[in-house]
Amino acid sequence: MSIVPKETVEVIAQSIGITNLLPEAALMLAPDVEYRVREIMQEAIKCMRHSKRTTLTASDVDGALNLRNVEPIYGFASGGPFRFRKAIGHRDLFYTDDREVDFKDVIEAPLPKAPLDTEIVCHWLAIEGVQPAIPENAPLEVIRAPAETKIHEQKDGPLIDVRLPVKHVLSRELQLYFQKIAELAMSKSNPPLYKEALVSLASDSGLHPLVPYFTNFIADEVSNGLNDFRLLFNLMHIVRSLLQNPHIHIEPYLHQLMPSVVTCLVSRKLGNRFADNHWELRDFAANLVSLICKRYGTVYITLQSRLTRTLVNALLDPKKALTQHYGAIQGLAALGHTVVRLLILSNLEPYLSLLEPELNAEKQKNQMKIYEAWRVYGALLRAAGLCIHGRLKIFPPLPSPSPSFLHKGKGKGKIISTDPHKRKLSVDSSENQSPQKRLITMDGPDGVHSQDQSGSAPMQVDNPVENDNPPQNSVQPSSSEQASDANESESRNGKVKESGRSRAITMKAILDQIWKDDLDSGRLLVKLHELYGDRILPFIPSTEMSVFL
Amino acid sequence: MDPEQINEFVVGYLKKKGFSSAAKDLESYHHQNNNGSSFTSVDYHNDPELTKLIRSFSQQEDDPTRYREGYSKLRSWAYNSLDLYKHELLRVMYPVFIHCYMDLVGKGHTQEARTFFNSFRKDHEMVHLRDLQKLEGVLSPSHLEEMEFARSLRKSKVNIKFCQYSYELLLQYLHSTVSTLMLGIINEHINFQVYSGQPTSSSDDIEAVTIVGSFQDTANHINQKEIQWGLLEDSLEDRLEKTGGLLSDSEKGQGESKDGDADDSKKRSTEIGKQGSSLKKLKKDKAGNATAKVARLETITVSPAPRVKPELALPVMSTDVEQSILEDLRNRVQLSSVAMPSVSFYTFVNTHNGLNCSSISHDGSLVAGGFSDSSIKVWDMAKIGQAGSGALQAENDSSDQSIRPNGRRSYTLLLGHSGPVYSATFSPPGDFVLSSSADTTIRLWSTKLNANLVCYKGHNYPVWDAQFSPFGHYFASCSHDRTARIWSMDRIQPLRIMAGHLSDVDCVQWHPNCNYIATGSSDKTVRLWDVQTGECVRIFIGHRSMVLSLAMSPDGRYMASGDEDGTIMMWDLSTARCITPLMGHNSCVWSLSYSGEGSLLASGSADCTVKLWDVTSSTKLTKAEEKNGNSNRLRSLRTFPTKSTPVHALRVSYAFFTRINSTIL
Repeated sequence: MSIVPKETVEVIAQSIGITNLLPEAALMLAPDVEYRVREIMQEAIKCMRHSKRTTLTASDVDGALNLRNVEPIYGFASGGPFRFRKAIGHRDLFYTDDREVDFKDVIEAPLPKAPLDTEIVCHWLAIEGVQPAIPENAPLEVIRAPAETKIHEQKDGPLIDVRLPVKHVLSRELQLYFQKIAELAMSKSNPPLYKEALVSLASDSGLHPLVPYFTNFIADEVSNGLNDFRLLFNLMHIVRSLLQNPHIHIEPYLHQLMPSVVTCLVSRKLGNRFADNHWELRDFAANLVSLICKRYGTVYITLQSRLTRTLVNALLDPKKALTQHYGAIQGLAALGHTVVRLLILSNLEPYLSLLEPELNAEKQKNQMKIYEAWRVYGALLRAAGLCIHGRLKIFPPLPSPSPSFLHKGKGKGKIISTDPHKRKLSVDSSENQSPQKRLITMDGPDGVHSQDQSGSAPMQVDNPVENDNPPQNSVQPSSSEQASDANESESRNGKVKESGRSRAITMKAILDQIWKDDLDSGRLLVKLHELYGDRILPFIPSTEMSVFL
Repeated sequence: MDPEQINEFVVGYLKKKGFSSAAKDLESYHHQNNNGSSFTSVDYHNDPELTKLIRSFSQQEDDPTRYREGYSKLRSWAYNSLDLYKHELLRVMYPVFIHCYMDLVGKGHTQEARTFFNSFRKDHEMVHLRDLQKLEGVLSPSHLEEMEFARSLRKSKVNIKFCQYSYELLLQYLHSTVSTLMLGIINEHINFQVYSGQPTSSSDDIEAVTIVGSFQDTANHINQKEIQWGLLEDSLEDRLEKTGGLLSDSEKGQGESKDGDADDSKKRSTEIGKQGSSLKKLKKDKAGNATAKVARLETITVSPAPRVKPELALPVMSTDVEQSILEDLRNRVQLSSVAMPSVSFYTFVNTHNGLNCSSISHDGSLVAGGFSDSSIKVWDMAKIGQAGSGALQAENDSSDQSIRPNGRRSYTLLLGHSGPVYSATFSPPGDFVLSSSADTTIRLWSTKLNANLVCYKGHNYPVWDAQFSPFGHYFASCSHDRTARIWSMDRIQPLRIMAGHLSDVDCVQWHPNCNYIATGSSDKTVRLWDVQTGECVRIFIGHRSMVLSLAMSPDGRYMASGDEDGTIMMWDLSTARCITPLMGHNSCVWSLSYSGEGSLLASGSADCTVKLWDVTSSTKLTKAEEKNGNSNRLRSLRTFPTKSTPVHALRVSYAFFTRINSTIL
């Protein structure tokens, strides 16, 4: 009949005190109620349109009632939209969420903030028909423009023509912004401000027109400022922020960015002062490289192969400095364990034999060299370890490690912990680490022991890793970062593996794979064991370890 | 058929119709003289058609299911008919549908009417959604009486153009299926205009949309009237052209060198943009460019618009104002699809959902907003621009008492209305603000004194819109009371009342020559009224929902109107025909504005975009192009999305760019 059921009419009648409403009367009234409601709504919609709105509000209904000379219903024109709640148990019955408010609460509540006054802001929506890419404008066009340039690039390359409007409309604000960022990057005096700047770079929507300027800036400064460690680090942070910014379409500029990043990874010398921790910079750059490869590898198919070729060349060239080797190893390691297995492990044996003399304090007189060699050794070990860890992790989760095994692992930790002390002696003399850091590393084994007793489960598993990995542990300057790194290594590796091995292997396929890989991995493990001795063991997940042992 | 049967039919019919006594009389009469030979004046025996017809009368006259059956049969027949004639036949369906529905409602079969309506409403929702929404609420015979829309539908006939063959097809069908009910409805409510030849293409359907037939007749009749759409004699544009010649003579030596510059100017401005110089510089550059273009202007206006005499006594313009306008005109840059305008976007922030309307003065220096809390706020953009450097503004505040009477406020607050303000517009020189409100009044404010000058009472319902004439002094208003009125500033009584719209008059706009006003209404029509006589001289039919915005081209030849659905229609005033619908917006078109030369149309919409349309090309489009159907895309030049900000008002300023403002909610 009508959408207003007669029961509703009856209920309303009761609520206003009419108890003896005949059912027939209710039935007659129902269609009329619907008609009147529609009439009011029609007028309310007119009011809404003239208020230039597209959502109907209570005030529009009041306006419509006014038009019909009906007294408006008071108490609803609160401004905000109503919250409707679904009545439980009914499909399409709603009621307004009208909570009871305690008078005391209202009185005691602090005064609300005064509402902001109306203001006008002005900006250019378009300049001669072109929409400038400023934060006030919707970022739609901005993102689309580079895609077009890419297409043109591929077709017939009138690149300049198409990109011109974007450059052309570089507003004064953007220029100031760019200048400020550049200054901050160069000045290295105000770290908190610089951090803010990086956050802004990573999140602002209107920055797209500045991207070519930033890439240029970074390329220039990296090539000029190889001696300035702080600057390089700042620049790499900018790169990372730009990569993080979801509004920036950085693809067309990658070819400009990559050389700078790779330079920071495998350059012979980064920074001129002794204290400059270029290892950290290399690690950071390695992460950047892997990020870029992961995100844009699918678009630029040659990207990863070119990159790995560069890195492998750097690694396998014995004339290159150890620092360069280190960078190359870190870069390759960051690309995932498949890369490591294919490119590093295959070359591991000859390389280690080459590295051996450098490690030995008797043969190599230069302390610095020894230190570097150990760094490289550590990086290699880590890469290999993560690789084998990743491989073993492919196996489906086995039952959780038995406590007895944990003890075994700890036992090993103890056994090997003699090693680092030896090495540290050699390192300490040459290394100018901060005392505090050294303290941590010195404390390492003891701390583990005490924790072993107290028995905090997650730490127990990870701490041996730290111990058993002496080169990393003893020489890593930011030990805290490294420690967390090591802590995460297990979980992260799991993730890396998952994403890396994205070819969806079904459970059954996994099982097949296991038996095939089992031998393979076993062999690999044995080989690594030969090369590294017991140091590789902590990388092997405990359960698998029990299998292999 | 023997007389006995006939008697039965007649008696049955009378009983059905409720004439029981007459039926009894008849029966008794027949019993008395049983021979019954007196009835056979018509030869029923040889006319089976007629027999069936009569039989159907006596059969279940009241049965509501017959409507459903008849309609669904007709529908399936129409949908299965020949493709060539199908769209014509389908036009019949809508009137039949709504009249079936109203018949059912009228006879009290509310339940059946509802189910009938719901089962077939999908067919017509595309085109007639708004009407259906209105009709849906009609549930009892009294509603039919009460609702104006339904009444007008019942009273009038629908005109449908039919080609000869379609008409025959339809008649044939109706006769062969003996669907007397449908035949009755069609006869009663549809007026066929049969023409010979091939059926028209389906794209011409626009005229088929409007349902009120007699209305169409009057519209056609009215549209025969002559109108003088030309510009005024001795207008400033005229004078400019005269003086422009002189100017270009005197500047000839200079002008030639400038011409060369002008060609370069495009390049130069892009260079400047690259270097990122300030906006001011850009403006200056354009201004320099513009003087060179004035000379060109003459050559372009090959066919000048005809000149007419003003029918109103127009106010005398002071020489200062005249000079400044002339200056502006000279500086005007010709916009086209190649030379796109710049758009300056004013955003109202912190309006708390209260901004109802906004407008920009002709020179772009003032911006006014009308709010639902009865207030009007006026911003002086020049002052905001000056103090734009942020920190300085705060310091200036205390010293700048005259501008900011309430201390920290950056705008002038005008209080006086007692209901939501629905429009606020500036007089052409920008010294007055006219506002209209839900409190049924129109108020005149002075921007110099920041005070209310006059309150005009006359409308009986909320005044939706008020607009100054292009020369000031006179203004037009329109209201929920279905009238539009003409006022002059010095009288508190309206000079003219334009009545005729069938529903609210939602927007009003002056013709550039001041002799006409156009009104857009909720009855989906746009009307043009003669200001002097107060008569309606044009009715523009074609919109499918309420008309929200109007704009007149500067040469007075065309008009654009935007509606609730986002359709913009371009009309030729002299023929009252739609030149082209401009589709693209998908929500209400709040405002429209022509560029100074009339070559571009800007539209602002609730879908948070500003669109620019090339209207010169659309008027010159050949028939063939129009048939391709992709002409829409050609006309839409640019779309500027905003950051989810509905666009409320647009003004193409004299100089060179469009200004738009809007609100963040």
